[in-house]
Amino acid sequence: MLAALRIAGKDLKLRLRDRSAIITGVIAPLALAVIFYFVFGSAFGGAGGLDLEYGIVDLDGSEVSTPLVGVLVEAEEAGLLVVEEYPDRGPAEAALGEEIDAYIVIPQGFGDLVVGGNAASIEVVGDVDAQTSTLIAGSIAEQYAAGVESGRLAFITAQTLGGASPAGDPATAAFSYEMVDMAAETRQLNPATYFAAGMAVFFLFFTVQFGVLGLLEEERDGTLTRLLAAPIGRRAVVSGKAILAFALGVIAMTVLAVSTQLIIPGAEWGAPLGVALLIVTGVLAAVGIMGLVASAAKTAEGAGNLGSIIAVILGMLGGVFFQIGTGEDLLSRLTFVTPHAWFMRGLGELAGGADWTAALPAAGALGLFALVTGAIGWVLVNRRLES
Amino acid sequence: MAEVLTANNLVKHFGDIKAVDGVSLSIGAGETFGLLGPNGAGKTTTISIIAGLLEPSAGEVNVIGERISTRSTMGKQHIGLVPQDLAIYPDMTGAENLAFFGRLYGMASDGLSDRVDEVLDVVGLAERRDDLVKEYSGGMKRRLNIGVGLLHKPRLLILDEPTVGVDPQSRNAILESVESLSEEGMAVLYTTHYMEEAERLCDRVAIIDEGTVRAEGTRRELVSIVGEKDRVAITGGGALGSAAESVRSLPTVSEASATDHSLEILADDASAILPTLLSTVSGAGVSISGVEVVEPNLEAVFLHLTGKALRD
Repeated sequence: MLAALRIAGKDLKLRLRDRSAIITGVIAPLALAVIFYFVFGSAFGGAGGLDLEYGIVDLDGSEVSTPLVGVLVEAEEAGLLVVEEYPDRGPAEAALGEEIDAYIVIPQGFGDLVVGGNAASIEVVGDVDAQTSTLIAGSIAEQYAAGVESGRLAFITAQTLGGASPAGDPATAAFSYEMVDMAAETRQLNPATYFAAGMAVFFLFFTVQFGVLGLLEEERDGTLTRLLAAPIGRRAVVSGKAILAFALGVIAMTVLAVSTQLIIPGAEWGAPLGVALLIVTGVLAAVGIMGLVASAAKTAEGAGNLGSIIAVILGMLGGVFFQIGTGEDLLSRLTFVTPHAWFMRGLGELAGGADWTAALPAAGALGLFALVTGAIGWVLVNRRLES
Repeated sequence: MAEVLTANNLVKHFGDIKAVDGVSLSIGAGETFGLLGPNGAGKTTTISIIAGLLEPSAGEVNVIGERISTRSTMGKQHIGLVPQDLAIYPDMTGAENLAFFGRLYGMASDGLSDRVDEVLDVVGLAERRDDLVKEYSGGMKRRLNIGVGLLHKPRLLILDEPTVGVDPQSRNAILESVESLSEEGMAVLYTTHYMEEAERLCDRVAIIDEGTVRAEGTRRELVSIVGEKDRVAITGGGALGSAAESVRSLPTVSEASATDHSLEILADDASAILPTLLSTVSGAGVSISGVEVVEPNLEAVFLHLTGKALRD
């Protein structure tokens, strides 16, 4: 064990000396997290979640139009958005870009047209600089229109068949749209934490490469011969590399967790003990996977290239660049074959305000990744050293 | 003389290839033993087994009574290895390299620093102790490579072609270091394909080719195998192969072989037949650019035993 620590210490000194580990492990992910946050974070309304400000101009005032106004008001009360009612489109237009991102106009006679079985339209006007907010406003309007249409068809069908519509009339059947806080429901991370953690776990796989590839670099540089000739067990050489990889990973992740909380507004990783558990198991999983890659490669360069490809693929599948849903589709299922997804999921659980035990399932999955890949890599590397 | 190394009947297979075939060696304290052979003869594989880097397919190695294998740690403590390729960290200083490997060999911190300075003195790098190795010249790196091998005062020092690619000045310094280590009682196993080095340094030499020891003994013992014949080296261009054929038919010539630019001929009393020899070679269509007549040496022994020159 002492020999392994000495080898790890030597490698750490070299990595710190050439600054490669610091750049890859800390500076690059921190810089990217900050950049991503400021570039894309605004699309999500900044650090605190949705920050949508809308106007509603209900020129109709009928039973068909008022449900939309009501739902928007309820959404405001739930803290999902801010809505301002305007008597006419003039004041709404004046407020556009200043106080509101977009406004929805329900024209006069809209209700009569719908009840009469005629086509009707809703108008959404958005600020050119608030495209995401405008798109969301458009989606709300479309959802409402779809509800109106289905209600109208149900009413007409029922009348044609000589019965009554389920809701009695198209106005009350029309709109069943409901806005809910999906972030709270699915325990997703807020944008600040998402980008910070995503970049941290993405770069983690590159950081641990500095450790696991060390064995191949020693082989390339001829120093492995001397290590193997020394009166130390061969396992000490492999262990030394694994220890360094683990240490670099933990140091980098810890620095990132702490620094992003200080630098990026709204970044909140959650209960420290749970975060520590996820970091430790996440780093072990990364060491296991990259160790397996290194054991299968013939050269340090080959292992570096293969490792980078795998890190990017796992990162994308794991949802570190864009959030992937938790549904039944293939992509959603595939995401759970990556440690990244489990790490983010674990943080998501903690971000919901839960205590550290909420991270246990994700930590267990990460530990399993580490165990399986690490064991295979260990066997392959030792076999390689014997040959 | 107490035996430091005994290697018995070493065999090593790499798939279908038999790289080492029944090699046996023994080296006593203060003795320098040369393993002389061309590239690919099996020298490096043999010393890799002796150093515990490779597990032999058969046979065994003992150093100071300790069995050596890839898993042994006790026996390796007695061995210092200087690999053919540089095995030092370019981004560490000379002193840091020595200290790191010293710790791996279990050297205590209090004595380590003094020993590092001592070794740096021996290899002539004391002035550059705190410079990064990547700033060293090729010869300095070679010397540090040797320094690491002898840092922990091994009983057996294995040097695998330590002078390959080294400038003459550094080469001489390396050879002098080996001579002084031997005088201090260290057993040295020295592999080379340079006949001059083997003749200068080694008390005994084993001639190895195609994984087999063809002969072993002191220089005098080996030379006697050739039968005190003289060696004539004729350099030139043209039909060297057919010239070798013609020369073989001359009286007193026992061997003749052609390389790219020369003829190597073994003969009794070469000076007496030299005019005939030269006219035969010239007549065979060789344009002669140089002639050298030397007394029997290890190169001649190698040629005699294997039918080819050392640098083939």
